[in-house]
Amino acid sequence: MSRIGVFVCHCGHNISQTVRVSELAHFAAGLPDVVVAKDYRFMCSTPGQDMIANDIREHRLDRVIVTACSPLMHEHTFRKVIEKAGLNQYLLTIVNIREQVSWVTDDIEEGTAKAKALLNGAVYRARLLAPLSSRVIDVNSDVMVVGGGIAGIQAALELANTGKKVYLVEKNSTIGGHMAQFDKTFPTLDCSACILTPKMDAVLQHPNITLLTYCEVSEVKGYVGNFDITVRQKARYVNHDKCNACLACTEKCPGKGISGWDEGLIKRKAIHIPFPQAVPQRPVIDRDSCTYFLKGKCRLCEKVCEQKAIDFEQHDSFLNFKVGAVIVATGYDLMDTRPLIQYGYGKYPGVYHALEVERLFNSAGPTSGKVTMRDGKEPQAIAILHCVGSRDKNNYEHCSRVCCMYSLKFAHLFREKTSADVYQLYIDIRAAGKGYEEFYNRIIEEDVKFIRGKGTRVAPSADEPQRLIVEAEDTITGKFVRLPVDMVVLSPAMVPRSDYKEIARLFNLSTDKNGFFMERHPKLAPLATMSEGIFIAGVCQSPKDIPDTVAQANGAAAEALTIVSRQKMELEATTAMVNPASCCGCQNCVRVCPYGAPFFNEQKGVSEINEALCKGCGLCASVCPSSAIIARHFTNEQVLAEMEGLMEF
Amino acid sequence: MTDFKQIENNLKKEAKKLLESAEVPVVLAYTRGYDEKHPMPFAAKSVADVEKIVFNEYCNFNMARYIMRFPDAAKIAIAAKAADSRALVVLIQEEKVRREDLVILGIPASGMKDPKTDQLIDSRTTGGLYNPVEYDILLGEEIRGQKTVSPYAVLADYEAMDKEARWAFWKGQLDKCIRCYACRKACPMCYCDPCFIDQNKPRWADKAPQSPGNMMYHLTRFHHLAGRCIDCGECSRACPVGIPLYLFHKKVAKECEEMFGQAAGMKLEDKPVLVDFRVEDSDQILK
Repeated sequence: MSRIGVFVCHCGHNISQTVRVSELAHFAAGLPDVVVAKDYRFMCSTPGQDMIANDIREHRLDRVIVTACSPLMHEHTFRKVIEKAGLNQYLLTIVNIREQVSWVTDDIEEGTAKAKALLNGAVYRARLLAPLSSRVIDVNSDVMVVGGGIAGIQAALELANTGKKVYLVEKNSTIGGHMAQFDKTFPTLDCSACILTPKMDAVLQHPNITLLTYCEVSEVKGYVGNFDITVRQKARYVNHDKCNACLACTEKCPGKGISGWDEGLIKRKAIHIPFPQAVPQRPVIDRDSCTYFLKGKCRLCEKVCEQKAIDFEQHDSFLNFKVGAVIVATGYDLMDTRPLIQYGYGKYPGVYHALEVERLFNSAGPTSGKVTMRDGKEPQAIAILHCVGSRDKNNYEHCSRVCCMYSLKFAHLFREKTSADVYQLYIDIRAAGKGYEEFYNRIIEEDVKFIRGKGTRVAPSADEPQRLIVEAEDTITGKFVRLPVDMVVLSPAMVPRSDYKEIARLFNLSTDKNGFFMERHPKLAPLATMSEGIFIAGVCQSPKDIPDTVAQANGAAAEALTIVSRQKMELEATTAMVNPASCCGCQNCVRVCPYGAPFFNEQKGVSEINEALCKGCGLCASVCPSSAIIARHFTNEQVLAEMEGLMEF
Repeated sequence: MTDFKQIENNLKKEAKKLLESAEVPVVLAYTRGYDEKHPMPFAAKSVADVEKIVFNEYCNFNMARYIMRFPDAAKIAIAAKAADSRALVVLIQEEKVRREDLVILGIPASGMKDPKTDQLIDSRTTGGLYNPVEYDILLGEEIRGQKTVSPYAVLADYEAMDKEARWAFWKGQLDKCIRCYACRKACPMCYCDPCFIDQNKPRWADKAPQSPGNMMYHLTRFHHLAGRCIDCGECSRACPVGIPLYLFHKKVAKECEEMFGQAAGMKLEDKPVLVDFRVEDSDQILK
């Protein structure tokens, strides 16, 4: 015999609008074993909590059911309430009648009926609940930051400055990310390298940061406080301990590859550093363009290297790190605009995308900062097309947020460096940020021609070969315009890195429809994810500018610190266990577990579960054909009883 | 048509060699039952046993069923027709036995017959393969040039039924079940001990041979065999009341193959399809 108390929350009107809450409480009072049932406006408020605690004492309750919002919101709150009143915290059941009932219907009959069914199931389940004790685990105090752009750099530095050890993983051969490709940054027009390279250098010099460039995460095991991460160090074919960065090799190398750093605008050597301020200042050999790897002989770099640092025998190696928390800051790619054939990118040499233009402006770029086009000429007229692929139902619906501002910056730089006419073709200018509207006004003054209308088509000019015609509708005058220009700059949608799916899989992250990583809560937990101990920062979460990215990075560092600054932490007691008498040794559990908790005991011929690794997701219990696995707090009996209760309706 | 006598002789010859040299302590094959038409599974453990080995068109039993009966044997030789070899592949994938602990005596066979009806056993009730997919020694000529019929062709009538008709069909069929569990006994993939249906806590289903319990037993068994059933058809032949269990297994196998591009037990390097995850896996199952 259980003594169950049922507490029905109105959540203001959130629940009471579509569920007759007092009827629900009355219904609960009539169920077997329920000794008290009450409804209240805000069960999570202090009077609501006190009511539960008092009733536990007064009615000697041994089970508590709260029918309210999702357990994600207040399970913790109510567990603490019943624990304070002397009950084991796992003797609580939450029935979610908000997200699962009142918010998904307008029909009060339907809502009330479903709430009753769920509540009935919960009463059946509550009877079978057993007290459990939480586990306390040790927490590893190190942090891994994945992605060495400005977000990763900032987060790594913040954490390292608090004394924590940080592993910064970057897949390129240098850190810096996209910000290092830029020339100037809006709205202040300060030089990007000037503000970024000190931070890059600080990373290199910091005693608490282990820099892992040319590395990719290949496996993630473990759980909050105790991640066990394998990183693949890609072969550089250069021994970085021996290399003294004389760069004699890069001078002699005959291999030519396409420079990803310069967005393919020029070629670079097979052995190369991406740019002069690269960190670390050490070259790598690109297999795909290296003469030795392609043709089997050359090895000129090896001959000129006085340090004997070239090592063609190098292989990818795997490094293992144990950390307490992870910050994912993998950044973005620009959308591939070639499929948007109306803009002719990739077909007409005069069409550029935004990152290419950044490189043209950059003094370390392919043209040493001179604005010359692929044919070597300086453009006389330039059209900048906003919202290419973004704010577009056919491609990406999201606004990429920074394009308006960098397009204004481009206009300014074009006006400064060339005598060209600059046209902005925009839907509307979004300049919401500190100093952004002022920057917009400044550019208007600079004789830049604004045409409110989306560029619809780019086509070669019939009269002047070499030139392009940009077509658009000027929605202010209502007229159709055809602009003869030399250069077209596309501002493409910002999209997640092409390998976002792999990263999401490795770290167990969910993504939105465009592939940006999902935060735990869009407003109140924008940096946390549904995976405990894994945080996100920067554009991998959604498009944003540098100030917002840096702010997020600092925030993510602080969030990671809340975990790694503790020595111990309490974990859920809801883990799985194997009943060896029933185990048939099929090892399904071993195969499906995302955390590597079950393992096969060859001697006994049965599976066992490492409880320290178990997150209690229940996957193993559901694939166990002989029901040998018991998921605590969600045992077969409890789940079946709940279903029985549900199906009485 | 396969020369069964020649295969029997080869089987005896190889079994003798293996037992004589003590390379294996057990050879799993067939022996005569109460008559020619009813051979039995047989474990030859000595050279003297070899003479008792038979092989004829009625040797249908899936010998992979018996592989786990000899935990002490370091190595086992097993006579394996096409379906048996596929079952062995699944058992190897599921780590119930190691490939290096097996000597697979592959038997290419066409013209196998059901002793009950004397009808040919073909792709209607089995996977319809003639040659073993995995073997160490092949005991006859590989069979080539036979016409191949998709093992799923027989599903045409079944698939023409709508949801209600299928439910009614299975309800009618499964109501016949007397819960003798012969299907489970014949199945090389049913190795769970205890089977879910024998458990008391929780009691997943009623144990009496009545409709709801029958449904629960068979539907759960179908589900447990999804992506694992190698379509030997033994369950249906073992069934004393003639339930066409193969239809459901074939249907599920077909969906698995369409969704994940892999049929059970065809390649050693495949992973068990329902407990493996690939990013490019079909999401259809969620729709």
